[in-house]
Amino acid sequence: MIRTPLRPLARILKARDRGENPQAIERENLRLRHENMRDQARLRAESRLFVLGVFFLGAFLAVGGRMGVLANSDPLEPRSSVIGADILSTRADIVDRRGRILAKNLDTHSLYAQPHTMIDPEGAAQKLAQIFPDLDADALLEDFTGKRKFLWIKKKLSPEQKQAVHDIGEPGLLFGPREMRLYPNGAIAAHVLGGASFGREGVSSAEVIGVAGVEKHFDDYLRDPANGHKPLQLSLDLTVQAAAEEVLHGGMKIMNAKGASSVLMDIHTGEIISVVSLPDFDPNNRPRPLTAADKDKDQSDSPLFNRAIQGVYELGSTFKIFTAAQAVDLRLVNPSTVIETKGPMKVGGRTIGEFQNKNYGPLSVEDIIVKSSNRGTGRLALQIGVKRQKEFLDSLGFFQPTPIEMVEASGGRPLLPARWTDLSAVTISYGHGLSSSPMHLAAGYASLLNGGTRVEPTLLKQDGPQNGPRIVSPQTSQAAVKMLRKVVTDGTASFGEVPGYQVGGKTGTADKPKPRGGYYEDKVIATFATVFPASDPKYVLIVTLDEPEIIGLGKKRRTAGWTAVPVTSQMISRIAPLMGLRPVVEPATLTGVTLTSQ
Amino acid sequence: MSYLEYTVRQTPTGARKLLYFNWPLIVLIVAVGCVGFLMLYSVAGGSWTPWAIAQMQRFALGMTLMFIVALTPIWFWRNTAGVAYLASLILLVVVEIIGDVGGGSQRWIDLGFMRLQPSEMAKITVVMLLAAYYDWLPPEKVSRPFWIIVPLVFILLPVLLVLRQPDLGTSLLIIMGGGIMLWFAGVHWAYFAGVIATGCATIYAVFATRGTPRQILSDYQMDRIDTFLDPSADPLGDGYHITQSKIALGSGGWTGRGYMQGTQSQLNFLPEKHTDFIFTTLAEEFGFVGAISLLALYGLIIAFCVVSAMRMRDRFASLVTLGIAATFFLYFAVNMGMVMGLLPVVGVPLPLVSYGGSAMLVLLVAFGVVQSAHIHRAR
Repeated sequence: MIRTPLRPLARILKARDRGENPQAIERENLRLRHENMRDQARLRAESRLFVLGVFFLGAFLAVGGRMGVLANSDPLEPRSSVIGADILSTRADIVDRRGRILAKNLDTHSLYAQPHTMIDPEGAAQKLAQIFPDLDADALLEDFTGKRKFLWIKKKLSPEQKQAVHDIGEPGLLFGPREMRLYPNGAIAAHVLGGASFGREGVSSAEVIGVAGVEKHFDDYLRDPANGHKPLQLSLDLTVQAAAEEVLHGGMKIMNAKGASSVLMDIHTGEIISVVSLPDFDPNNRPRPLTAADKDKDQSDSPLFNRAIQGVYELGSTFKIFTAAQAVDLRLVNPSTVIETKGPMKVGGRTIGEFQNKNYGPLSVEDIIVKSSNRGTGRLALQIGVKRQKEFLDSLGFFQPTPIEMVEASGGRPLLPARWTDLSAVTISYGHGLSSSPMHLAAGYASLLNGGTRVEPTLLKQDGPQNGPRIVSPQTSQAAVKMLRKVVTDGTASFGEVPGYQVGGKTGTADKPKPRGGYYEDKVIATFATVFPASDPKYVLIVTLDEPEIIGLGKKRRTAGWTAVPVTSQMISRIAPLMGLRPVVEPATLTGVTLTSQ
Repeated sequence: MSYLEYTVRQTPTGARKLLYFNWPLIVLIVAVGCVGFLMLYSVAGGSWTPWAIAQMQRFALGMTLMFIVALTPIWFWRNTAGVAYLASLILLVVVEIIGDVGGGSQRWIDLGFMRLQPSEMAKITVVMLLAAYYDWLPPEKVSRPFWIIVPLVFILLPVLLVLRQPDLGTSLLIIMGGGIMLWFAGVHWAYFAGVIATGCATIYAVFATRGTPRQILSDYQMDRIDTFLDPSADPLGDGYHITQSKIALGSGGWTGRGYMQGTQSQLNFLPEKHTDFIFTTLAEEFGFVGAISLLALYGLIIAFCVVSAMRMRDRFASLVTLGIAATFFLYFAVNMGMVMGLLPVVGVPLPLVSYGGSAMLVLLVAFGVVQSAHIHRAR
């Protein structure tokens, strides 16, 4: 800045000469200089103010814009926490055909700790160990005083436990809401339901995932919130299922069997009304599956193994009805055609024998079924031929796993002969050489006996009959029912009669194969496949016992007639009334019976 | 360039001073104060107790103080700026020794009828002292290094004391308020560029030393930074405030849920809903419109201060007016930014609205200084 000297003597003197006041000049000088300085300072201050003003404006815009964005955002409902919101969806219930609960969710709590907010970790650890005897106070204290900021203590708490933990009053112990899967009926229908466990877990919720049975098969459906928590309705009937399990369990014990299964199926709709596999388990506390460490144990002896669906067995003479029905349907024979069953009979180098080496002589086709003649059905099978037999069994579903809605169903793939020779045709005609599950047999019987149309088993409630492709003519179907009825009235299943329910059925006793080939002499699978009521067939019931053995009339008995048949008749007498079947009095048996004597 | 040079011009005296008040500014301040009463009435669930009545009493006290300060000539305040600064420093030391501990920090002195927070005082006294300093300092010396170190010491003394409480938010606000004073005073821009570069380097250092024994900030401060960077990482912990207030702002929408209808605040989801986070209640109940209106009120207060400052010839008067306006701006900008998740959560109240005595009294006294500067300017 160029300064004007304040008191230039020359100027003052000149001014004095002119008679001016030098003080005024000085003041004027000072004023001009101040104004100059002030203007410069102002200019600078204003530019500075402008810069800051721009900054302020930016801040205003940022706040205002952010406010607009937030105002425009989706109005979330207030929630005390937002973690894990994506896995909050409730799993749908599972109900039986009448809407009774089979599986539902229970609200419970998990317990977790945030050690850094704890006031008294030592006291908390000790009190927790008192409440939960399985927890160790020292280990807990180590966790609480360590570096971790979060740890799970218990996955599920009972209300009493929760209150006890709450009473500790420790702010670092926190509860997270949980939904757990509950099977209020315990072991009833355990194999069908399977079970569920926790998947992904968050503080405020955890995912419940199905691990087996329909819980796994319908996992996506059950978890999908789009279904509106509509329960999954199964075809099972809870009371029938419970009665069937009770009878079968008693039968298994009396017959000294190591396992048993039963399948009850509606032959028109394909609905499975009950399916039992014993031994069973409680899905609320699912046992550990066998692992590689248990390789000496047989997988099929695990309680988790579903004998009715996963187990494939040679089901023996129960297959004979298929052969007889096909022969009748092909018009090769009719039920009264007489067939010579005398031995010896050699096919493919093997001798075909009868049970206990009996010799029945000439028998009608109906009597072949009633007396269960191997040679008789074998001869029918030879007449039918390999090709047609294969086609027929395929059309009944014996070549594929059952389409039942359980993840385990694919494990029940039938075992077929590698080369289907004449010998295979003969042995398969009486139920050896082809292994299938009891569910297969139920579906085959249902398709044959419902008037002759294919029906596939299902676990979902149906609205009407399936009306599948035709397999045999209605006349053949009727004849087959009549033959089966006669097995019970006159034949090998005389213990199977249940007064009023007109049971028809076929027994089957198959020697169990040894793991390394050949058959055991003293281990059998006893099967009784029934249809009832014979005058208007509605249901098929298959009962199998694994290795039954009782003493009957002083001898060891293993055949189905002695073991599976009485169990089945007991079961029918229990479950038929439960299903609303009214006992029918057959006209033929009316002779000699007066109304007053009943 | 002192007032003595302007004796040719007039300043109002006696009762005439009342005519020369910056009355629009007073109306604006009262309007903002009333918004505060309404919101405190609402967050108490429709009750004047415990907050609204106490706030009104303090507001009345503050307005009285404002008038007294305003009627006192501005040169008195310039001459006593140093005293006020020393007083606030002494109070900061006192609070260090005998202060009440609240919310994890030692910030208050209990005066019986109210709890005084000296750090709030320091925000204003630093501004006043710096204004007086630059009034005294010849303009040509402003950018010389030595004459920059002096004001930096003025700023850093209270900052260090506040940091010890610990109160990171207030200390940053003091630094920023002081920095704006230096900017207005005309310190060469290269200094500011240097400071900003150093600041960036410091931020890098803070994160680089994290977890090492030389960690600069305390764990809670680091946690707050983390939470700011990602509030959803710990929504039940440090991010709780922000998540909840964002929900509240979102649920307010454009026009709000209606007075006393805010769920977030009425249902006690929000802690500190009557103090630092009162803006969420306003935004939820009155929506975008209400929030923008409050922002506009604040903007008008700043604008009136700036216009007033530009008409002043006295350097102290204009600097102190601008400095107080800037401090006021920092208050609400930081508070709103924090509530809306633009800035980390630091304990800064919403000026004149949040419940709390110290900040409001100090601000009203500061506006008294602004009024005094306005009244006593040479005309």
